[in-house]
Amino acid sequence: MSSPTEKQPPIIAVEDLTIGYGERVVQKDLNFQVRRGEVFVILGGSGSGKSSLLKCMIGLVAPVSGKILFDGVDIVTAEGAERLKLLNKFGVMYQSGALFGSMSLVENARLPLDEFTRLDLHERELVALTKLNQVGLLEAARRMPSELSGGMQKRAGIARAMALDPAILFLDEPSAGLDPITSAGLDRLIRSLSRDFGITFVVVTHELQSIFAIADRCIMVDAERKTLIAEGKPAELRDHSEDPVVRQFFRREADPEQERKTG
Amino acid sequence: MVHPVEDRPQAEVALKELAPGSAVLALSGALDVHTAAATRREISTQLAGKSFQVVEVDASRIQHGDASGMVILYELVHGRFTPGVQATLRGLRPELEKLLGAFPKPEDVQAAEHLAARKPIAVEVGMATLGLGRDFLEVVAFLGRLSIALAGVVRRPRWLRVTELARVFEKAGANALFIVSLISLLTGLIIAFEAAQPLKQFGAQIYIANMIGLVMVRELGPIMTAIVFAGRSGSAFAAELGTMKVNEELDALKTMGLDPTRFLVVQRVLAGTVAMPLLTAYSMAMGILGGVIVTKLMGFPLSLIWRQLTAALGLKDILFGIIKAVVFGTVVSGLGCYHGMHTRQGPSAVGDSATRAVVSGILLIIVIDAIFSVFAFALDI
Repeated sequence: MSSPTEKQPPIIAVEDLTIGYGERVVQKDLNFQVRRGEVFVILGGSGSGKSSLLKCMIGLVAPVSGKILFDGVDIVTAEGAERLKLLNKFGVMYQSGALFGSMSLVENARLPLDEFTRLDLHERELVALTKLNQVGLLEAARRMPSELSGGMQKRAGIARAMALDPAILFLDEPSAGLDPITSAGLDRLIRSLSRDFGITFVVVTHELQSIFAIADRCIMVDAERKTLIAEGKPAELRDHSEDPVVRQFFRREADPEQERKTG
Repeated sequence: MVHPVEDRPQAEVALKELAPGSAVLALSGALDVHTAAATRREISTQLAGKSFQVVEVDASRIQHGDASGMVILYELVHGRFTPGVQATLRGLRPELEKLLGAFPKPEDVQAAEHLAARKPIAVEVGMATLGLGRDFLEVVAFLGRLSIALAGVVRRPRWLRVTELARVFEKAGANALFIVSLISLLTGLIIAFEAAQPLKQFGAQIYIANMIGLVMVRELGPIMTAIVFAGRSGSAFAAELGTMKVNEELDALKTMGLDPTRFLVVQRVLAGTVAMPLLTAYSMAMGILGGVIVTKLMGFPLSLIWRQLTAALGLKDILFGIIKAVVFGTVVSGLGCYHGMHTRQGPSAVGDSATRAVVSGILLIIVIDAIFSVFAFALDI
C-alpha cells in the first residue's frame, strides 16, 4: 500500500514493443514504465491502437516484437504455471463489462475465487459481495447482467476484476458510453481504490475530463506516427507540450485537415 | 494461485487460554488468498471442543493480507468460528483495516439476499400462462404484418428488393443442393436395401421401384428436405434477424420509416416458399435414383424399373409432395423470421431464438404432414 514513488522498480515495463496485425504495423518502438500504485492512462485518438496496446499488455495478442515485463517477468514468453501466476497479478475490465450473461453479479464476481481458491462457498460469497460493495453494487448482487445499466455493468466488471485482489487493474474505456455523472462516479471509484488499496491502474481512455480526474501520469500514442508521442502528467502535457497533436488533443480542437473538408 | 510455491510466506495460528473461558488467538504471517483456507482449518482445529466467553484476536503480527484473507478475520469478528461469541480484534495494520472495512455488514448482506427472493409458484405459473397467451397474439400479429407486407409487395414490386431475395435464395436454396442430394440419395439406397430382403421372400423385389417412388415423392422427399431446411435456413433466419434485433438494426429500420417485415421477412419467406419445392423435387429425384441403383444392381433391366415407376406414380402424387413442400417452406421460413424478430436481450438470446426456430419448425412440419395425410386419405388422393 505504498504511494507511487519514482525510485521503486516499475510494476510494468514495456520495452521496444511493436504491435501489428499481419503486415500492418499499429504501433512501434514503444518504451514506457508503469510505477507501482499509480493511475497510468494510455491516451490516443480513435484508431491509434491504444486498445491493441492494452490487449498486448494483458497477453491476449502477441506483439510483433518487444517485451512486456510484469515485475521482471515477460508476459510474451511466460508459459504454464508462470503465465498463470502472472495472469493472476492483474484484473481486466473490458469495455462492455464482459460479464457472463448466464450468471448473476455475485456469481460473476465469485467465479475467479471458485476456480482459484479453496475457501468455503460462504467465504467466497462474502468476498464477492465485498467486491460488489466496494463498487456500490451490493444491493444488485443477485441480479443478472442484462438487468443492469451500462455504468453498473462496468462497475460489476471492476468488481469481478478485483476478485483475487490483483496488484494491477486494466480498464478499457471505463467512461465510454456513460453519462457525465456516472462517468465521474467511476472516476471517483478508481481514485479511491487506488488511494485506499494501493491498486495500480492502467486505463485506456480518450475522455479528457476523466484523464484529469484520475491520471497520475499518461502516455499518448498517435495513429499517424505509429508511436509514443508524449509522456507525463496530464496538466503538464496540456500546458507545456510542443507537439501539435498533443496540444490539439488536450485543447479538444478539430483536425485542421478535417475542418477544411467539412467547412 | 493454484500452484503452491514453497517459499511463499505462511500464516501461523496460536491459541492461548488466559483465564477460564477467555482466550487470545494470535495470527501472524501472511493472511491472503494462498493461506486463507489453511488458516481457517487451523483455527477450527484449535478451537474445536473448547468454549470461550471472550475471544480476542491479536492481528498485530499479520504482515500481509488481502480480501480473501480478511474474510477469516471477518468471520471471527462475527462469531462464525465461536457461536455466540463475537471476537474482538486488535493490532490490525491500517491498510488491512481498510480492506476489512470494505466488507458489507451482515444485515446488508441479508437485505441483498432478501431482494432476490423467488416468486411464489402460483405467480410463476400465472405469468407463464399469460406469456403463452401473449405469444399466441404475437404470432397472429406477425401473420397479419406479413400478409400486409406481401400485399404491399404485390402492389409495388419495387419493394421486393430483388438482390436481397436472390442472396437469400442462393444461401437457403442453391447452397443446400449438395446436402439434400446426399441425404436423399443415401435414403433411397438404404430403403431399397432394407426392403430387398423381406420382398425377396415373396419374389416381389421389383416392387422396390414402386415403393421407393411413392415413399420419396409423397413423404420422405418433402419431409427430409423440410427438416434440412429448418436446420440450415430456419435457424439462420432466426439468428440473422436476432442479431439485427440485438444490434438495434431493426429499430434503426423502424425509425427510418421502413417496416422490418417488408424489408427483411418478405424476402426470406418468399425465398423459402420457392426454394423448398425446388429442393424437394431434387430430393425426390435423388431418392428414386438411389432406389434405381439398388434395383439395377439386383439385375433388373432399366426399362422394367421405369415401367414400374411410371405405373406406381401419378401426377397427383408429385403435386401432393410439391404442394406440401411449398407449405413447409412458407411455415419454416416464417417461423425462423418470427423467432428472430422476437429475440430477447442477453448473450444467449440469439442462440435461443435459433433453437426455437428449428424445434418449432420440425414440430410443425410433422403436424402439417399428418394433417395432409388425413386429408389425402379422406379425399383418396
